[in-house]
Amino acid sequence: MKNQWTNYYTGYVKVKAFGRGTERLINSLTRRGLHVWDVKRIGTEALVFYMEISDIPKLRQIVRKSDCKVTFLHGKGVPFLWKRVLKNSGFLVGLFAFLFSIFILSNMVWGIEVHNAKPETEHAIRKELERMGVKVGKLQFYLDDVDTIQRKLSDEIEELTWVGVELKGTTFHFQVVEKQQPKKVEATSPQHLVSKKKSIITEMFVEKGKSIVKVNDYVGKGQLLVSGIIGTEEKPEIVSAKGVIKGQTWYKANVEVPLETKFSVYNGDEKTKHYLKFWNVSIPIWGFIKPDYSNYEEEVTIRPLYFLQWKLPVSYKEKTWRSKEEIKRVYTKKEAVAEGKKMARSNLEKRAEEGAEIIGEKILHESIENGKVKLSIHYQVIEDIATGQSIIQGD
Amino acid sequence: MKGGSFFMARKWGQQLKQLIVKKADLPEDVIMDLPRITMIGQLHIYIENHQGLLAFTDREVRLMLKHGHLLIKGSAFVIKTILPEEIMLEGQIEQVLFINE
Repeated sequence: MKNQWTNYYTGYVKVKAFGRGTERLINSLTRRGLHVWDVKRIGTEALVFYMEISDIPKLRQIVRKSDCKVTFLHGKGVPFLWKRVLKNSGFLVGLFAFLFSIFILSNMVWGIEVHNAKPETEHAIRKELERMGVKVGKLQFYLDDVDTIQRKLSDEIEELTWVGVELKGTTFHFQVVEKQQPKKVEATSPQHLVSKKKSIITEMFVEKGKSIVKVNDYVGKGQLLVSGIIGTEEKPEIVSAKGVIKGQTWYKANVEVPLETKFSVYNGDEKTKHYLKFWNVSIPIWGFIKPDYSNYEEEVTIRPLYFLQWKLPVSYKEKTWRSKEEIKRVYTKKEAVAEGKKMARSNLEKRAEEGAEIIGEKILHESIENGKVKLSIHYQVIEDIATGQSIIQGD
Repeated sequence: MKGGSFFMARKWGQQLKQLIVKKADLPEDVIMDLPRITMIGQLHIYIENHQGLLAFTDREVRLMLKHGHLLIKGSAFVIKTILPEEIMLEGQIEQVLFINE
């Protein structure tokens, strides 16, 4: 007996035969070697049976010689299924078009929201974003990643201290911290002014309060400068002392400058490979040669693809190799000293008060040790030394 | 099949064949063109060496044999497969009759 499992793939038809001598028809069919199965009697004069598509021409020949007539009821198997799929291909195309458009729309930018920014800053951010191409309707695929946008924004816009960039679905959220914070309301609680560090007073401007010290006085740390208690001793009045007391202070800075420094810098050579990432498997699609840089840095960018809110297991991966070169910087002693001074000054600016003025600079000690220039510099600085110290009431 | 052999014994050739079968211990259906019928309970009947379909309804199937007919009675008959010399019938089989003419 013939195996029947291939019938499904080659296709078969259900045939109805009617007329006189349907049995004879079946006999002649089988004698001609046609494969016939599932024969059933319908009523008195009709039979239904199944047969292979490829046997239909033979069936026609045999039927012509018999007293029967045949009609085909329906076809089954892959050829018919395929025909139906083609006939309904509009639906299929529509379904794919629909999924594709949802996929495209899911990967677009649909909103840009800037939080906690003044209108001017927000405008600047939006303008900068537009310049970078971050616009509503753009494909996320072509945009820089979140970290790059964040870095570019902080670099380009002066007013920003920090900007948090977050991509939530199709919306960019920018969390802004601006440099100019609203000024704090000045403390009006009763206070003295005391010295922050030891110094010689050079300038005094007292707005409120009773000054205790004079110009050219030497004061130590924490010494009372301007008292918040005014009036006579019998009838004291407590106020919030206010004023600017400038004094000369001294700083000593120690810096070390190596004469030889090695840097690694990019020399501009780079190579990029593109991959499609399925789950954890990366399949290269462009760029197959691994660069033979002796010294390089690798950078990997992965761009996820979305379908509605779901991250697809497929993502696009870009791998960039940047060639690096070692560069040696050599200072002469003179250059090293100049560099050291510069470093010391910028260090000093951090340590001293804002608006401090350097009036004197003196190198105390200078030596070369282990290929390093060691400097010890003394600075004279004029700065505001006053700070508030609240008066505890009821004393 | 015993009844069949009795009636076939009239012919000379048949007699010879029967002799060969007996002496050489060869299968009867091959030598003597007899149908080989396999039944699985009342569900299936499988007939080899038939000569064609004479009548087929869902209650009765008549098959031509070399000598005579085979009549199968029952209900809900469906021919699962039919080949020139083989037929596989499915349904509720009640009777299998040999009709000799």
